[in-house]
Amino acid sequence: MTASSSSGGPDAASARAAAISVASRARTSGWFRSQTSRRLGVGYLLLAPAVLYVLLLVGAPFLFSLYLALSDANVGEPVASFVGLANFRAALESDVFYIALRNSIVFTVVAAIFKGLLGTTLAFLLLQPFWGRKVVRGLVVIPFTLPVTISVLSWKWMYDSQFSVINWFLSRIGLVGSYGSPDWPVWLGQAHLALAACIIVNVWRSFPFSAIVLLAGFTSVPTEILDAARVDGTSFFQRFRYVVVPMIAPILLIGFLFDTVFTLSDLSIVYLLTQGGPANATKILPVLAYQVGIQAGALGRGAAISLFLFPLLLPLMILLLRNLKRRED
Amino acid sequence: MSDTQPVQTDHASVNRRRFLKVAGGGVAGSSLLTMLQARQAPAQIKGTTLRILQWSHFIPAYDAWYDRFAKEWGDKNGVKVRVDHIPHLDIPARMAAEFAAGAGHDIIYNGSSILTRLYYKNLADLTDVADAAGKKYGGWIPAAKSLVEVEGRWYGLPIFYILAPMLYRKDLFDANNLKYPDTWELARVAARTLKPKGHPTGIALSQCADANLFWRSMFFSHGGTEAEPSGASPTLDSKELREFLRFAKALFEEGMTPEVFSWDDASDNRYLASGVACWVHDAISAYRTTEDTNPPVFKNTFLGLEPQGLPNKRVSVAAPNVWMVWKFSKNQGAAKEWLAYLIDNDLVGMTESRGYNMPYLTDRYKKPMPVIGTDPKLQILQDFPKIVAFYGYPGPSTTPIQEIVNTFIFPDMITRFCRGQSMEEAIKWGVGEYRRIYAKHKGA
Repeated sequence: MTASSSSGGPDAASARAAAISVASRARTSGWFRSQTSRRLGVGYLLLAPAVLYVLLLVGAPFLFSLYLALSDANVGEPVASFVGLANFRAALESDVFYIALRNSIVFTVVAAIFKGLLGTTLAFLLLQPFWGRKVVRGLVVIPFTLPVTISVLSWKWMYDSQFSVINWFLSRIGLVGSYGSPDWPVWLGQAHLALAACIIVNVWRSFPFSAIVLLAGFTSVPTEILDAARVDGTSFFQRFRYVVVPMIAPILLIGFLFDTVFTLSDLSIVYLLTQGGPANATKILPVLAYQVGIQAGALGRGAAISLFLFPLLLPLMILLLRNLKRRED
Repeated sequence: MSDTQPVQTDHASVNRRRFLKVAGGGVAGSSLLTMLQARQAPAQIKGTTLRILQWSHFIPAYDAWYDRFAKEWGDKNGVKVRVDHIPHLDIPARMAAEFAAGAGHDIIYNGSSILTRLYYKNLADLTDVADAAGKKYGGWIPAAKSLVEVEGRWYGLPIFYILAPMLYRKDLFDANNLKYPDTWELARVAARTLKPKGHPTGIALSQCADANLFWRSMFFSHGGTEAEPSGASPTLDSKELREFLRFAKALFEEGMTPEVFSWDDASDNRYLASGVACWVHDAISAYRTTEDTNPPVFKNTFLGLEPQGLPNKRVSVAAPNVWMVWKFSKNQGAAKEWLAYLIDNDLVGMTESRGYNMPYLTDRYKKPMPVIGTDPKLQILQDFPKIVAFYGYPGPSTTPIQEIVNTFIFPDMITRFCRGQSMEEAIKWGVGEYRRIYAKHKGA
């Protein structure tokens, strides 16, 4: 501080005037320079990469697939013309589409039920203290981390119509007949067995993921709350239903959402096991879209078929996200 | 329909740009012809790189030879050659990706599903190479051009096809007084006789390439056709189709098991090699697999010509293999040179593939052919070129046919009937799908 300012002379007066002028400038230039606005600015700046990422990697492909679905684009034709809803109409006129739609729903729902049951059981098992728990926790993720082609081709061998190790085992314990007998299951050749076989591989591959999500949730529940519930005389299922589930609901919902999206859009398992056969018995929408759009070259129709996944997923996503928001509030 | 619309050309207006284009093209074409005839690579390909994408052959030794052979050619001509192999089912997706990116390999392979019609506007015109090879080797077998020709130009080079004979167990046939399966009816009798004795038969009836090929052979041999000779419209709905379906279902019920609904392209190889099958209709990879894995069964495995459906009616639908050059390729000269060289050496390829790769050029059928001509059991394959056909028979492999093939409509129709749907319902579905796809392409 200078001598003049401390004395309260003319300099002090000018400083006061300057302070008043700064305040008035701040008022006149709006809220842009306020702390809140700066905080918001930094916030948006930090969010920008994520928004850009979503726009580029989700929004742009979605808009592009909309464009394709409304055009007569094919794989070898760079110029496509607008055909309105013709591709959607063509899909709705084909009964293979309805088979694929039904299979997609059955596939997703049945797989979700089994993944939920097995995932919860596994998560509880992994919570228990036992020797080698860390190793087992590491091993359970193997199905999820193995390259899908390798694991599915291994399953294809296990389901082989002639050399199936599953059938060999079932035959040895007397549950099915020997090879060549009528009750020898042909896993990928009988309609219901083929769909079940695809679901089994999907469940095998994905339930460790569900278990790990649940495990993360379970370990986040404070033990004091569980102890208090135990003191109040609650049973294991009551504690699970009324204490654990409400507390980890956001994790459960997000996990469920991810899993549903992954399952419904999963092309690889069905494609590698059956290509959608026999006679479309295992055809799901992504496989149909791939065959029509890429293999047969009708990009517009393939895009239209794949877009039918959107109205299937949208209500579920809205429901889950609204539930999540309500819980946050 | 997109396939049959001719390119509009205006011959009246020859402006300066057009003159230069035509003259330039002529000079380039004639120099290429000279170069092809001289069998010497031009200096301008020296120092370039040639990238080739193709399938992983069912005979792995062929891939090893091909890669080595391509490299040797590259070394001789100063071209760096890179060959990538991927499973044949992944080729369409890869092709779409390369087209969308406008970059990738210079030469791209198509096997089984041939996509020349879909991409021809984006493929290099290989008519000059095809004409030169045709002149040199006595012309192409009739079915060859149906795979690659669009509006009079060749947009791909057929280098080999994979045919499918009857492979039958002579020991089992002899022991049961069964006749050589020269007709489908005799094959059915054998299947019916030997299934109760633990030796059923099989042709894949799933969504795989074999199912698309072999049931079509049976259908066409029964007098059926898939499209008009021009390829303009489908001709599936016919009394021949009904006859064929009746036969196919009887053959399935009497001689096969539901295993065929789950088969992939290699299942029939394993079926024969395991000693279970009394006959399979397959490529000679089944013969080779048996040779490598089960010598006693191999000793008794014999080959037959495509069985007749009607008297003297034999049509064998083969798996075509075609090489194409992208228009965006910056090394079309080297690509054409390599393909011409490969055609010159297709008999070497046939040897290296253990007789698997059948050539498309007439002179190549001079007996004895390599490998198959010297093996008494395989000699019969030398008589196949006259009866070979491809998808869309007797028409060309058009865009609608390619879509039909890739969505497995034909085998699915048979599967529906064999699994219990009524014949008319199965036909209504199949014919409906054919018409819908043809109508879509007509409107395009």
